Amino acid sequence: MTKINLTINGQATSFDGDGDMPLLWHLREDAGLKGTKFGCGIGSCGACTVHIDGEATRSCSIPMSSLDGANITTIEGLADGARLHAVQEAWIEEDVAQCGYCQAGQIMAAAAFLKDVPNPTDEDIDNGINNLCRCGTYFRIRKAIKSAAQKLQNA
Amino acid sequence: MNKISRRGFLKSTAGTAAFAIALSTSPHILAADTDNSGNVTPCLRFTADGEIFVCVPIPDMGQGMITTAAHIIAEELDLDLETTHIEMMSFQGHADATGRAAEGPMPQGAGGSLSTMMVWGPLQATAAYARELFIHAAAIQWQTSERNLTIKGGAVYNKKTRESLQYRDLVSHTRQAEYAVLRGNASPKPAKDRTRIGRDQRNVHAQAIATGSPLFGIDSDAPDMLQAVIRRCPHLNGSLVSYNRETLLAMPGVRHVVEVARRPDDLTRPWLVPNGLAIIADTFWQAKKAANAAEIEWDGSRAAAESSSVLKARMVDHLENGTPADSTRGGDIDAAVKNAAQVVEATYYHPHWAHACMEPHNCAADVKEDSAEIWTSHQSITESINAVAAATDLPIHKIKSNVMRCGTGFGRKYAPDFIMEACLLSKEVGSPVKVTWTREDEMEQDHLNPSGMYKMRAAIDNDGRLTGWHVRTAADGWIRNAAKEPPMGLVDNFLGEWGYIENNVRRGPWRGPQHNTAGWVIQGFLNEVAHAAGRDPLDFLLELFSMKDVQKLDTWPYPLLEYSRFKKLLKTVAKDSKYGRRMKKGWGQGIAIYHTFSGTCAHVVEVEMLGEKDYRVHKVTSAIDCGLAVNPLGIRAQVESGIHDGLCAAKYGNFLFESGVPITNNFDTYRKMRIGEAPPEINVRIMDFGDEEPRGTGEVSLPPVIPALTNAIFSASGKRIRTLPIAENL
Repeated sequence: MTKINLTINGQATSFDGDGDMPLLWHLREDAGLKGTKFGCGIGSCGACTVHIDGEATRSCSIPMSSLDGANITTIEGLADGARLHAVQEAWIEEDVAQCGYCQAGQIMAAAAFLKDVPNPTDEDIDNGINNLCRCGTYFRIRKAIKSAAQKLQNA
Repeated sequence: MNKISRRGFLKSTAGTAAFAIALSTSPHILAADTDNSGNVTPCLRFTADGEIFVCVPIPDMGQGMITTAAHIIAEELDLDLETTHIEMMSFQGHADATGRAAEGPMPQGAGGSLSTMMVWGPLQATAAYARELFIHAAAIQWQTSERNLTIKGGAVYNKKTRESLQYRDLVSHTRQAEYAVLRGNASPKPAKDRTRIGRDQRNVHAQAIATGSPLFGIDSDAPDMLQAVIRRCPHLNGSLVSYNRETLLAMPGVRHVVEVARRPDDLTRPWLVPNGLAIIADTFWQAKKAANAAEIEWDGSRAAAESSSVLKARMVDHLENGTPADSTRGGDIDAAVKNAAQVVEATYYHPHWAHACMEPHNCAADVKEDSAEIWTSHQSITESINAVAAATDLPIHKIKSNVMRCGTGFGRKYAPDFIMEACLLSKEVGSPVKVTWTREDEMEQDHLNPSGMYKMRAAIDNDGRLTGWHVRTAADGWIRNAAKEPPMGLVDNFLGEWGYIENNVRRGPWRGPQHNTAGWVIQGFLNEVAHAAGRDPLDFLLELFSMKDVQKLDTWPYPLLEYSRFKKLLKTVAKDSKYGRRMKKGWGQGIAIYHTFSGTCAHVVEVEMLGEKDYRVHKVTSAIDCGLAVNPLGIRAQVESGIHDGLCAAKYGNFLFESGVPITNNFDTYRKMRIGEAPPEINVRIMDFGDEEPRGTGEVSLPPVIPALTNAIFSASGKRIRTLPIAENL
């Protein structure tokens, strides 16, 4: 197949393997970025959520062949160097994570969501976030999203 | 360096040792543990450059055991968990008479909500012993009496000279060549001196999780590791007949195609490892793509009749025509029914539930001729070692098990199957192999929560008091709790009968085994009985729990229930939730309480009906009795988690078979709630009954939330939910 050029966490890179392979496996196996998680493989649970050109996207269902020119941010690239993203800070402060497995996807989803909806109501959150968490941390996720929204507005 | 007489020290401090822990020169040490040179007791390790590692004994699957254990150790040693590293403690058990890994005094597996309760004493004593070793070493260093010394800021502090000695500078003084057995009878800090226990400690992995660090089993790689995807037989107790071997071997990256034999091979026994076909390739995606291309003929004849509707019909038949396997009785239930002012009867049913562990099971294994090493997410260090031994026939001291953080477990990650698969394949092909389950594998090959049906009968007298209680169950697991637990033994006249339905479905522990559904059946039916008697459900429960002061249960772990505590929990949630206040039309409150293992929890659920067929839980108010609260922040997280898991299973949990094949195998067909259905308000009160030791927490809030929900739905809509899942039975 033809060569795919893409940017991951600010680094230009290229790919010329199997174009059917979902982005998730390129991130985890080729790029060594293990923070993005495999959950369902059908784009349902959102554990694999990354930003593609700023949009929260389930990377388990995006084939590499569709990503020429794409700009990808993963959980490893969300912070600004040593300075954590407001959503990451809020997640730590609200003690959101239990097992932690889905949380990279939750954080990426929340970070993109807050760009579109900077001051969300409960209803906005209900409708705008649909990542699965099996520990049931939704109660603290809701608090953390609101707290991150405040941080971003005060920044 | 001052010389310390190890022998003399042990003699002076050992006394009647509360426990002993084997370390480096013990014959029981596993391959993992050959170098303990930096250890000061099993709970602290120092690297050559002085970095401190706190070593925690029980894996973390989200229940917070890494944080809780570190919190206990930090208390005794005044350590700052923000600046210390944390790792799993090496295996502290031994080989039993049959060669299996067995636990010693330090528990190393998670189950039954017992982890905090079990490690509390041993961890305190171990950490306190480490403190004693440091103080002793410092006393010799400074040529002063131990009485002048204390610990402060993670160092030994000399109260007279106000000097400090860092622990890391004392390690070589505490360590001796014959450091084989550590004996601890050191006294933990008195409760009044504690600065950490009882206060909130955040998840110690919070930052690592929020930044995507590779903490989990699925993130582990071994050098030159191959990737395996296994097509496991989807038919219950089925087997592999034929497949397109040559086509698969020709696919890109594929190195091996290996048949995985059923274990055990006796078809009449439940299988540990299913029959299947492993495709082993250079990358996961290559293996997955080839697995998708496999054309396999399966023999599904052994369970071809087993559709979920058939399995349910067998329960109906058993309750109508079958004979109970066993029973428990007291007083005279027949007379109670005969003399009753009113008899209430109902039948309850719940289907199978899947675990849906967030992290699909996985294991990387490097099996060599005379040793093996694994990397995996598993609930038990001990059982992970036994799984390797079962697959390789290696003695346990040749096995190294690296147990990583688990992306949930819920009881399923206690099983050996995924570890055995990786070991069998690594041994077969002679190189390290990682087995990663897909979501479909995780659901199709689950060990499900049993399905059960319950015929309930209650007798009420003229004053609306419960005088007789009769439960008859038919289930495809040995789930007897509903037929053995109070009101059995609380009312004078009772009969509990249980029957076991044979089938090919694999069952296993699912968060709060037995209790998870017994709590619903008992507390749901009690609510019906209260309404039938014209009583307020809260008053009815308070009266019930006044019939006796205490009751010793005949179900594991045989706790002594103290009903004064039950009543206090009920009154607390009622007050905190303003239970009984007037609600808007279509809204309702439901109350329930249940004990699970050693803990008890009460909830009030507030629900709003959304039309005829849906509802939203707006608020849950909870009170938990979990003994001494070691880490309140973590306890609240567990209560929130159990609430959510119970609400999810009750609303949607319905694992289905058609002709012996699972037809629910991913989140599109086996649904779970997202944030848009989750309660936006949860208020948890942790009760303080003055206990000096912790009790269970992790599973305790789940069982009572289901009846609190169905009772709330009844209050809001008049609809009594007796068949789960709610979404399909409103």
